[in-house]
Amino acid sequence: MTGKATRALGICLAVGLAGALVPRLIGSPLLLTLLTQAVLNAILATGVGFLVRQNGLVSFGHAGFFGIGAYVVALSGKYQVMPIEASLLLGILGAAGLALLLGAAMLRLAGVAFSMLTLAVAQALYELVLRWRGLANGDDGIAVQLPRRIFGLDQSVFQQPASMFTICWIVLVLVLAGLALLIASHFGTLTMAIRENEERARFIGYRTLPPRAVVYAISAAIAALAGALFALYNGFVTPDVLYWSLSGEALVMAVIGGTRAVWGPALGALIFFLFKNAAGDLTEHWPAIIGGTLIVVTVLLPRGASGSVAMLMERVGMRAP
Amino acid sequence: MRLWEETDDGAPGTVPEATTERRRYRGPPRRAAAPMLIQTLNGLVYGGLLYVLAVGLVLIFGLRRVVNFAHGSLYMVGAYVGYTVTAVAGFWVGIVVAVLVLTGIGVILDRLVFRPLQDEDPIVTMLVTFGLLLVLEDAVRTIWGKDFLTVQPPPLLAGVVHLTGTSFPVYRLAVIGAAILVAIGLSLWLRMSRVGLYVRASSVDPLTTGMQGVDTEFLSATVVAIGSGLAGLSGTISAPLVALSPSMGGSILIDSFVVVVTGGLGSFTGAFIAAMLIGQVHNLGVVFVPGAASMIPLVLMVLVLIWRPGGLVKAGA
Repeated sequence: MTGKATRALGICLAVGLAGALVPRLIGSPLLLTLLTQAVLNAILATGVGFLVRQNGLVSFGHAGFFGIGAYVVALSGKYQVMPIEASLLLGILGAAGLALLLGAAMLRLAGVAFSMLTLAVAQALYELVLRWRGLANGDDGIAVQLPRRIFGLDQSVFQQPASMFTICWIVLVLVLAGLALLIASHFGTLTMAIRENEERARFIGYRTLPPRAVVYAISAAIAALAGALFALYNGFVTPDVLYWSLSGEALVMAVIGGTRAVWGPALGALIFFLFKNAAGDLTEHWPAIIGGTLIVVTVLLPRGASGSVAMLMERVGMRAP
Repeated sequence: MRLWEETDDGAPGTVPEATTERRRYRGPPRRAAAPMLIQTLNGLVYGGLLYVLAVGLVLIFGLRRVVNFAHGSLYMVGAYVGYTVTAVAGFWVGIVVAVLVLTGIGVILDRLVFRPLQDEDPIVTMLVTFGLLLVLEDAVRTIWGKDFLTVQPPPLLAGVVHLTGTSFPVYRLAVIGAAILVAIGLSLWLRMSRVGLYVRASSVDPLTTGMQGVDTEFLSATVVAIGSGLAGLSGTISAPLVALSPSMGGSILIDSFVVVVTGGLGSFTGAFIAAMLIGQVHNLGVVFVPGAASMIPLVLMVLVLIWRPGGLVKAGA
C-alpha cells in the first residue's frame, strides 16, 4: 500500500513538474492561451466527470456552479466586502453548500429527473443574474477588480497565460490526486457500490443519500474552483458563464474523455480545445458544433478517449491506471 | 373605471402616464381587488402555455422513458415558423403550418433519435437531445437572426375586454381557452379512444402491450409527433405575447421541467395541476420580485418534493 502511495505521489510530482515546464517549451502565445483555457476547463470537466463516475448521474447544469465561483469573486471585488482570497473560498464553499441542499431534495428522484433539475437550477441562476441588473449589471457583465497582490503573488501572475497555465495545471493535478485518493478510500468504494445498486447498499446498512449528496457537493466545488480561477484570469464575468452552452461544453469534454478514469474528462478538455482551435473560422456557429460533437461522440464513442486508452492497455496486458 | 394596467414584459399594451399617477395616489386598498383578478388570469395564461408544452414532455416520457431536452427548442422553432407563415398567410394559417411542421419534426426525431437509442441508457438520449438543443438554437439564430421579433395577434382577437373595471386582452383569454381545449381533448383521447387505451397501456408496460398485438413502435412515433406538435402549438400561440428570440425556449423549458417533476414524472393530471400552480407563482414572481422571478418555481418545487418526494400525483394517473 505504501509502495503504491509513493508511486502515485511520484507520478503526481512528475506530471506537475512536467506541466510547469510547458510554458517554457511553447513559444507561441496563442497556443499557450489556448492551453490555459483548456486546463481551466479541464478542472470544470473533471467535476462533471467525477459526478458521473461516482454517482452515475449526469449534470446538465455545472455552468451554474462555475458561475457561482466566478460571480462571487467578481461581486466581492465590486462591493469590497472581503479579501479576494476569502471570496474564492466562499464561492467554492457556497457552491458545495448549495449542491448539498439541492442534492438532499433532488437525489431522491430518478436519475432522469435529477438531470432535468440540474439544468433547471443553472438556467434559473442565469435568468437571475440577467434580470436582476442591480446585482451584477446583467447582460453587460462585471469587471473583476483585483487587488495588487493575491495569495502573496502579484496580480499579473494570474492574468498572464504563461504563469496562469502553471497555476491551473498545479490545481488540476492536485484536484485529480485528491479525487484519486478519495476514490481509493472507503468513501469511494461506498459511493461506487451505491451507484451500482443503491438498494443493496441500503440493505447492508448504509445510508445512501448523504454519500451521494457529498459527491454532488464535491463535484460542484470543483466546478466553482474552476469558475473562480476563470474570474481571476479573465478579469471580466458575464452571464454567459452560467449559460447552458457552457454546461454543454463541460459535458462534451467529459464525454470525449470518458468518465471511467478520473483523468478522462481532463484529457477530453485538451482534445476539445485542440479541436476548437482547428474549427477556427467556424466559431460563429460554435454552439451548433458543440451540440453536434456531443451527439456524435455520445453515439459513436460511448466510453470516450480514456475508455479507449484503458481498453488498449488491457489488450497489451497492462492494468488500467 | 380603469385603475391601472399591469402587463408583464413583452406584453402588448402600455401603462399611460395618467394611470400611473392615479395608481400612486389611490394606494393599495382600492387597487387590490381588480389587479388580483388580472394577476390570476395572467397566471392562467402562462400556466396554460406551460401545460401545453409540459404535457408533450409527459407524453414522450410515458412511451419512450426519456426526457426531451430539445423540447424548449421545438417550442421556439414553432414560434419562428409561426412568425414567418403569419407574415405571408396570416395568423391562423401560421398556427396550422407550425403545428404540422413540428409534428413532422417529431416523427423525424422519433425515427432518428428516440427509436435507435431506446435500448441504450436514458442518459445517452438526454445527451443527444441536449446536443440537439444547442444545434437548433444556433440554426434559428442563423436563419432568423438574433434580434427580437414580434407577432401581432389576429384581428379577431386583437381587442380588450373590460373585467370589473380593468381591461384584459382578448388574445390572452383565447390562450387560456386553447390550453383548456388541449387538456380536454387529450383526456378524452387518452381515456375514451382505443389508441388512447394503447398509449396508457404502453406507458405502463410496453412489452406486454406489444405482445397483445399493439404496434408500440408506431404508437411511440405517434405520441412523439403529438408531443412535438403541441410544443409547436405552444410556441405559436405564445408568439404574440412575448418577444421572439433564439433563447426564448430556455426559461419556459426549465419551467416545464419543474412542472413535470412537481406534477410527478409521467403524470398527465399532475402536469395540469402543477402547470397551473407554477403559472400562478411565476406570475406573482414577475410582479413582485422581477429580478428573482426565475427562482420562485424552483423554490415551490423543492417544497413540494420535500412534502411528497414523488411529486403531486403518482405516475399513470
